[in-house]
Amino acid sequence: MLGRVRERGTLGSSGQVVSLDPDRSLVRAAQADPLQFDPLYRKYLAQVYNLAYHELGDHHEAEDVTERTFMLALGGLPRFHDAAPEDAGPEASTFRVWLFRIARNVVANHRRALRRRPTTPLEAAVDVTAPDDVEGAAIARSEASAAWAAVRRLPGDRRRAVVLRFVNDLSTAEIAGILERSEGAVRVLLHRALRTVARELSHDDRPGSRDDHRRDPGAQ
Amino acid sequence: MSLQPANLEAMEVEALQTDRYLDALLAAVERRAFDVPADAAVDPTLRRAARRLRDELVRTHPSFRFEERLARRLADAAVRMRLATAAGGEAEAALIPFPTPLLADPILAAELENPEIAALLGLGHAAAESRAEAAVHSEVAMPGRPTTPAPADARSTLRPVGPRPLLVGGALTSAALSLAGAAFVAWRLTRGAPADPMARAVRAARAAREAAAATTSRMTAVAASATSHPTTGIAGSAVNAGPRRRRLA
Repeated sequence: MLGRVRERGTLGSSGQVVSLDPDRSLVRAAQADPLQFDPLYRKYLAQVYNLAYHELGDHHEAEDVTERTFMLALGGLPRFHDAAPEDAGPEASTFRVWLFRIARNVVANHRRALRRRPTTPLEAAVDVTAPDDVEGAAIARSEASAAWAAVRRLPGDRRRAVVLRFVNDLSTAEIAGILERSEGAVRVLLHRALRTVARELSHDDRPGSRDDHRRDPGAQ
Repeated sequence: MSLQPANLEAMEVEALQTDRYLDALLAAVERRAFDVPADAAVDPTLRRAARRLRDELVRTHPSFRFEERLARRLADAAVRMRLATAAGGEAEAALIPFPTPLLADPILAAELENPEIAALLGLGHAAAESRAEAAVHSEVAMPGRPTTPAPADARSTLRPVGPRPLLVGGALTSAALSLAGAAFVAWRLTRGAPADPMARAVRAARAAREAAAATTSRMTAVAASATSHPTTGIAGSAVNAGPRRRRLA
């Protein structure tokens, strides 16, 4: 937490955290000259793509959504107003929230369009083990599939909250802005989502799985 | 699950504790810590699930080919936006509801039909006008795409209903350019030939060629009359006349 504060803000004269959101200067530059949108695009490309990929489960669909999101953001940037006051604190990056809200709506549009056609499920292609470790690879793939399957079974906003929190590393306040809920509601969403995932994964846990070999100071 | 106030409050407290744990856990990624100290009240099964999600949810990056292609597309769109703004000057930036070149893409125009997206982009009634105008332009301007003429009533619905934005700067600029262009063309047409050395040389060469041709025709006529027979009036043989003609030429 301290790292986040240090990254995005500093203590002002009044003792409050004053926002030093790095996006602000980039946004102003892009508003003055649309060609300066490129740094913002490079910064958030992977995050927007990840959100779309985890929502839609398909690489090509995610690329489509990512492209539309950034084109719309570029077109709407001259009218974007940074609503965060100067002393709003370290979570004042309204550009990222704005961008993700566009992405969320584009994903929703895309989902509506996809309902007319069949979709293929996401196959988590995770292989963090050595290439010759066949057993480890199989376990890793199975675990990743289990975790992802548990997340996929969550209801809409719970799933989105988990993806935004764990994949995109967004704060609760930012997720609240994107999902248009209060921070407390998002905390409860995440808590309930974690409970559901924990329950599902506990069925999957078995003696000899990799998780048992890990050091778990909290369980001791 | 009961939603009695006491239970709800307990749930919120648990959620707050879990959120603090998640903050610490996700911040610990940079130092590659497996786990972080947590409030004892946080359920160990929740902590295990959070660690698994942190470690196992896939983080992907789109292909670099896609990244560069989209970067080029964005840059092209940015150039068109900049040109549109420059053509109208600074004053009309607020009058352009949405960059019309982007709306020529029917997919993006369809996205703006979603009122939430339109609201996020700060578009209202003016956006509808811009979309309608872009629809008309796209029918005309998209090369290589067959255009289907819209029926008269449908086309009339595409026309902007409200007052159109006035691009004062752009209108003045284009009018000034047009006047200057017309004056230049008129001046260029009424003026004589250019006076540069090359043009003078070309004119001199052409005049010399015309003078030589006139002299040749006159001498040929004189020669023909001198060699003609006094009684028959028939001109001399072609053997004699040919070389002379060639020499004169």
